[in-house]
Amino acid sequence: MLTRITGGRIIDPANGRDETGDIWMRDGRIVEAPPGANADATYDATGKIVMAGAIDIHSHIAGWSVNTARLLLPEFRLGSAARPGSAPSSSAGWPAFEIGCLYAAMGFTTVVEPAVSPHYALHAHLELADIPIIDKATLAVLGNDDFLLGLIHRKESAAAVRDYVAWTLAATRSLGIKVINAGGVAAFKENVREFSFDDVVPSYGVSSREIVRTLQHAVNELGVPHPLHVHCNNLGVAGSADSALATIAAADGLPLHLAHLQFYGYGKEGGRGFSSAAARLAEAVNAAKSVTIDVGQVMFGQTVTVSLDILRQFNARNQARPRKWAILDGDANGAGIVAYNYRSADFYNAVQWAVGMELFLLIEDPWRVFFTTDHPNGAPFTVYPEILALLMSRDLRAQWMARLPTEAMAVTTLPSISREYSLVEIATMTRAAPARLLGLRDRGHLGQGAVADVAVYENEPDRARMFRSAALVFKHAELVVRDGKPTRHVFGRAFMVKPERDRAIDRRLKAYYNERYGISDDAIKVPDHAIGRPEPFELVSCAH
Amino acid sequence: MHHAWIDGTPAELDTAAATAARLLDASRQPLVAGLGTDVAGARAALALAQRIGAVIDHMNADALLRDLDVLREAGVMLTTPSETSLRADTLLLIGPGMTDASGALPLRGAAREGGDSGRMDRRIFWLCPGRDAGAADKITIVGLEPRDLPVLLATLRARVNGRPAGPPPVPTPVLDGVADGLKAARFGVAVWSAAELDALTIEMLCGLVADLNATTRFSGLPLAPGDNAVGVLQVCGWMTGFPPRTGLGRSYPDHDPWQYRAARLIDSGEADCVLWISAYRAAAPEWSRDLPTIALAPADARFQKPPRVHIAVGAPGRDHDGVEHHATIGTLAAVAATHASNALSVADAIAAIEAHLADGPSSC
Repeated sequence: MLTRITGGRIIDPANGRDETGDIWMRDGRIVEAPPGANADATYDATGKIVMAGAIDIHSHIAGWSVNTARLLLPEFRLGSAARPGSAPSSSAGWPAFEIGCLYAAMGFTTVVEPAVSPHYALHAHLELADIPIIDKATLAVLGNDDFLLGLIHRKESAAAVRDYVAWTLAATRSLGIKVINAGGVAAFKENVREFSFDDVVPSYGVSSREIVRTLQHAVNELGVPHPLHVHCNNLGVAGSADSALATIAAADGLPLHLAHLQFYGYGKEGGRGFSSAAARLAEAVNAAKSVTIDVGQVMFGQTVTVSLDILRQFNARNQARPRKWAILDGDANGAGIVAYNYRSADFYNAVQWAVGMELFLLIEDPWRVFFTTDHPNGAPFTVYPEILALLMSRDLRAQWMARLPTEAMAVTTLPSISREYSLVEIATMTRAAPARLLGLRDRGHLGQGAVADVAVYENEPDRARMFRSAALVFKHAELVVRDGKPTRHVFGRAFMVKPERDRAIDRRLKAYYNERYGISDDAIKVPDHAIGRPEPFELVSCAH
Repeated sequence: MHHAWIDGTPAELDTAAATAARLLDASRQPLVAGLGTDVAGARAALALAQRIGAVIDHMNADALLRDLDVLREAGVMLTTPSETSLRADTLLLIGPGMTDASGALPLRGAAREGGDSGRMDRRIFWLCPGRDAGAADKITIVGLEPRDLPVLLATLRARVNGRPAGPPPVPTPVLDGVADGLKAARFGVAVWSAAELDALTIEMLCGLVADLNATTRFSGLPLAPGDNAVGVLQVCGWMTGFPPRTGLGRSYPDHDPWQYRAARLIDSGEADCVLWISAYRAAAPEWSRDLPTIALAPADARFQKPPRVHIAVGAPGRDHDGVEHHATIGTLAAVAATHASNALSVADAIAAIEAHLADGPSSC
């Protein structure tokens, strides 16, 4: 089957292309225009924008915590029942099926679930398998687990840590490793209530810095394409910028990704002791060329926060809006779910919104700043079109700021920023850069041989409208969305890496699970047959 | 070969499946109940229920929804059996239902990898063990009768918070001893079985656990009901957004714990056809009213009256591989067949029925 998209403006920053032209697709891939060939199907994109399918590197879409948020907040669904599909107003209640449809409608074709505790990997993959259309991946979370802290405590070799990381990636079928409040969650289980980068987990005698550095090196040395994905200490508190700056400084020239930096963009200036530190953070990121970040933009409205940082979520439980929360002191990281409503009249929430915008606009390189709301923590992913519109128009931002508390805007630099994102920068940030960051060589671009995940948008001046409802979306060259409505529910795969390891670690973990828990280590492995769909995984190659 | 029966008479699987499909097609309000099955069976059952507009319920939903009510209404702190093994220096056992079939307490103690890696000594308090009291060894038992639990927990919570309380069912110094013991925990875990308690008692207990976290660390461990109730709950969550007791007949899932309780739907006559699923054991439905029933149950299941259709299914983890809630890590895990057989899985049996539905096999 040969398919042709004709006459659109092709924006493909990975291949340096921005021109009017055609896209040809065959057997699921982009191909060069075959001389003299007639397409079996032709789609007219004249006057429209053609980009690769978008990639979201950090969105909580599956697993125990996401599902528990559904069960915690049944009323989020009641109020929005039987509503038009184009106007979703709830955030965490969507069943797996709707998540895929809503993402695809916006032209997204790949989404990473970034917080999977190893013991919960099978649950996460089962949920992901029921999300249609998009491809998926998980990041496995280490850094508060007894086994790793034991390795570091005993000063075991870097090779032992690498083998353990490789074993975890293979067992959990993950694309990368994340660390969430390194050591802070383990310390909280020992009744520590505040934990910073150089604090030490009491019974292991290991600092957060050591954990991050150990994992960063292991991931890098294993050749895993995606750098260690870090959720820093002290998320959300005034002065949290210091934690992020300390972590950026510790990157030491090696790749490191900081997640949802907005939640660390807070200083202690101003009358309320809460201010934007985004300019300082952006300056540090601009200077640290090995560091990438995603934003975690806040938008106003009801949502629910889900995080494996249970120290943070425990401390936030009394600010729940409505007052509903659950904390799981689970294996390794556990999980915390706290309902929250970001209000535009709230000084703190308005500062948070501005901090996210500042980070997007002050970090100069669109290859190193990634587009997220930390769904659903800053806002549900369905608000992406509104955020894109804000990034592309200072006038629109000015309209928003005019409605927000003046004293909040006064503790940020946002009113002074005039930058507007171009469509090429948007395509870089949401397509080309995420594919490169995740090591997905045949995604995020429209060059020959790429997987034919393609989004076609009307070139409307109302950018929110444009990005909310893609005119056409192709997954593996198959039409899956037309005019923002899913037309076909194919099922994608989950990406994973499987770096080489010394099999001695397998015997060691078998003994560990048997001695500590009296169970087989098979209990935490994700076998193909358990997923219930054909070829549920796709292997991504490591650097060596 | 596969075993199937129509009205108690052996039948070919295909004939039985076709009969089941006709019953479901003819039903104006079908019910998918029992749901004692693995994740694949639950996914298939829910997909079928969505297709035919059925109500879904689980045979242990009473206990499941009691814990869930507290989650939804009050806020909870929870942990897992495995984390309890690794960390708990204090256990607070609540009421009966704490022991396994052999009469032993199921929670083991383990060592951690850190500096103080010796196996810890545990303090164990057990409030109102009722019939299970004989199992206790080296355990501080406080109160006996489970009916005293609501007042005992309320007064204990008051004493933990340094507040006066009315006359407790046990002497105040004893109660204060327990309160001091709980506050002295480094990581304490309260354990209960929702099958044995009412929702208000569980809420009081979860409030006590939350209060203890003002000064120390404490968490809660609800023991999972049987028949993979928690595994099925998770599947219901991600497929519908809701727990069992949800109607799928509208254009959106509609959850109502009262309206969609299987026994009520049957007693009231609202449901007129049941697909009863019990793959782990030969559990029969709790209702007595006669209505067309399709049973996916072990070959040796006995019913008060033979169901219209009975298709024999194997047990997940025995006859076939599966995924189910794991009692130690407290989440979903793959289980391999211990005695692999050619018995049908629930998912297989549902696929056989779906192939005969009036609008043909489902597309995904």
